[in-house]
Amino acid sequence: MASSLRAAIISHFRVPASQTLALNGSKLWTVRSMSSHGDDHLDKNQVIDRVLEVVKCHPKIDPSKVTPEVHFQKDLGLDSLDTVEIVMALEEEFKLEIPDKEADKIDSCGLAIEYIYNHPMSS
Amino acid sequence: MAAASPSRPEILSLFRSLLRTSRQFSDYNIREYSKRRTIDAFRLNKHATDPSAAFADGKSQLEVAKRQALVYSLYAPKVKSIMELNH
Repeated sequence: MASSLRAAIISHFRVPASQTLALNGSKLWTVRSMSSHGDDHLDKNQVIDRVLEVVKCHPKIDPSKVTPEVHFQKDLGLDSLDTVEIVMALEEEFKLEIPDKEADKIDSCGLAIEYIYNHPMSS
Repeated sequence: MAAASPSRPEILSLFRSLLRTSRQFSDYNIREYSKRRTIDAFRLNKHATDPSAAFADGKSQLEVAKRQALVYSLYAPKVKSIMELNH
């Protein structure tokens, strides 16, 4: 099992070089395209749905009030600690690392959706 | 030596750092516990008049958590906890 793992890792490192070989028709190694981020972005509706799901699942929130434009502190009555919690939950959902400066600016669903949609690493 | 009273951004930054560090634990139970504990502790002290003592405590706990996350990762269990499967 370790040897197949090694082979997989090695073939991964060889992808850039083997791209040109594949063009020549050589099929020495399978080219696995490393396009985990190469596909087109997340669909905006998907982002909206997932963001709303995360927000609704938060224990302090009333799910019926959650809309894509809702403001955490003004409409949902949360405080800054809750906002930080929600941003962390969004980071986990979309596998991002949001720096503190950006995270402090996110205080509504709309901003969160915008940020995540525009982030190249969302998944 | 006494730090001046921590500002709001500092407190939020400490909160965020603690949550981030909690995420790094490989053990499901400890991970969930640290998240719960930081949230509860910060809420408890939300209306405190002088947060410097709690803030200093939080900082030392952050250091502990960072070290422990590292140590636990060295001996991470190979089998995931059942709570982590099948969301």
